[in-house]
Amino acid sequence: MIGKCSQCLMRVNGYPHVRTCITPVEDGMIVEYEEGHDAELPLPTKEMLVKREDLEYDIAVIGAGPAGLSAALEASSMGARVLVMDQSPVPGGQLVKQTHKFFGTKETFAGMRGFEIAKMLTDKLKERENVDVMPSTQVIGYFKREGSLAAFRTEGLGRYTLLRIRARSIIVATGAMERSLVFPGNDLPGVMGAGAAQTLMNVFGIRPANEPLIIGAGNVGVIVAYQAVQAGIRVKAVIDIAKKSAAYLVHSSKIRRMGIPILMRHTIREAYGKGRVEGATIYKVDDNYRPIKGSEVDIEVDGVWLAVGLTPSIEVLELMEAGIKFVPELGGYVPMRHRNLETTVPGVFVAGDASCIEEASTAMMEGRVAGIAAAMRAGLGGDEHVKKMKETIRWLDEFRSSPHYRRIREGLFKVTLEGGAS
Amino acid sequence: MPELEEQKTLESGYVTLEDLRRHGNIPPDEVLESRAVPIFDCIEEIPCTPCRDACPTGAVIMPTMNDKPRVNWEACTGCTLCAQACPGLAITIVNIPFGKRVLKDPTKALVSVPYEILPIPKKGEKVALYDRGHRYLGEGEVFSVIRSYKYGTVLVNVVVPKEIALEVKFVEVVRDE
Repeated sequence: MIGKCSQCLMRVNGYPHVRTCITPVEDGMIVEYEEGHDAELPLPTKEMLVKREDLEYDIAVIGAGPAGLSAALEASSMGARVLVMDQSPVPGGQLVKQTHKFFGTKETFAGMRGFEIAKMLTDKLKERENVDVMPSTQVIGYFKREGSLAAFRTEGLGRYTLLRIRARSIIVATGAMERSLVFPGNDLPGVMGAGAAQTLMNVFGIRPANEPLIIGAGNVGVIVAYQAVQAGIRVKAVIDIAKKSAAYLVHSSKIRRMGIPILMRHTIREAYGKGRVEGATIYKVDDNYRPIKGSEVDIEVDGVWLAVGLTPSIEVLELMEAGIKFVPELGGYVPMRHRNLETTVPGVFVAGDASCIEEASTAMMEGRVAGIAAAMRAGLGGDEHVKKMKETIRWLDEFRSSPHYRRIREGLFKVTLEGGAS
Repeated sequence: MPELEEQKTLESGYVTLEDLRRHGNIPPDEVLESRAVPIFDCIEEIPCTPCRDACPTGAVIMPTMNDKPRVNWEACTGCTLCAQACPGLAITIVNIPFGKRVLKDPTKALVSVPYEILPIPKKGEKVALYDRGHRYLGEGEVFSVIRSYKYGTVLVNVVVPKEIALEVKFVEVVRDE
């Protein structure tokens, strides 16, 4: 439900493998289940039009989440002509489903709710003549010699525009994708990412379960549990294999006082049911994460939501042959970067969860750094922008000095290169 | 022992009243008896400043964004803005003299609980009172509701027995089925 996994693939108007979670409904649309993955590609018809467009901008931003939107705002205020692309039909990235008030400081709009921030940033960009926000657009290629991007824009089912985008700088703000967990029954309907449940509840107004079990007691797991209660859902429990929850105590306290149990050192054995989740078996682990015999408990649940972390989406950076390193502290494979967030490919910058799994607040601040740096790369800006970028980097350093971000600090140390603005 | 206690708190996932006393988040008795005070269930160093930014008298002390909030009890007027602003819904306002002064009943106190679940309790409704670990504490009555247009979090002002005023952290409307 963030447009990246394949769980929502269905046949739509005869087209196989359509990502229904990012495809707007149209009158008369025929949506069907796919049995297996043996669907055939339909032959091109008259309606299946592919057009071509050549575009030129100072800066191309891939991803219209908190990082991409913030980057576009900074770069455009320096006079850059900016294109922001996003695969989703609605800009805002994961902000659009965040109904809770954000932590952080005034600089990151603390106290506002995520979806309000998305609207505010998008509205600001709309006012600017030198910015184009292009939804339903996916980047699929990078041509090294001419430094251009290939993308296609979905105009409707089977109607695409192929784009070639030349830009002086590129900002990769592609976000992340939810991780899954391996256990018997994890393919039953009702098992889904916590982010998917959040999209269904908060964006589409659908109750994904009446009594779910949530796996993962980090900030995402406990925040989604809280929002489930707001949606009238009775969360059976939040379980986590770790000894201690990684969530902020304020977040976990919020669901404990409402009576939702948090069971640490617990994990799932299996989910079962006929045609959909009807129950799950959970068990306790010892200090070495081995199952404790006899600790299995069957619980009746009609949903299992996985909040077990995210993996940075770095496919575009891989296409560009950017330097990549495996850093578990940051979520997996992440690009090497300078302090100004330029990758090892000159003129290509990274910001937000694609650079390191963190917060929307840090994504916005990274977006600002990358936006300023990319505009400077394109020959814009002056001393005041260098100063602003340095201040933003200082804010990020201060934010990350919290004991909660020790692992992030250690991870960043491993991928941050010398040079660039600091 | 304090360290062990801390560990227990982290495992259970919520802050206890004992934690708050140990962290100095509960004011001295003479302050509690004399005015409305905010109780911050916030004992971790996390980057978050809305309470400080909302305070009109500078009573929330937080030199850097990661510092835990500390309240200058002398400067605090009990205005409730921090409780409305807190994104963690971690602040309740405990007003013990309210019983004596306003209700003319010294056994009662007023607690302002941040609330974000529909339907919002109404004035005069009975509510079930719960502590930090969802232990049932008894029944209270909604005295008034503050709808915060600036900060978006409702505060439900509940009349509760004075002796549990520091423990009340969550309320639920009691409706006849």
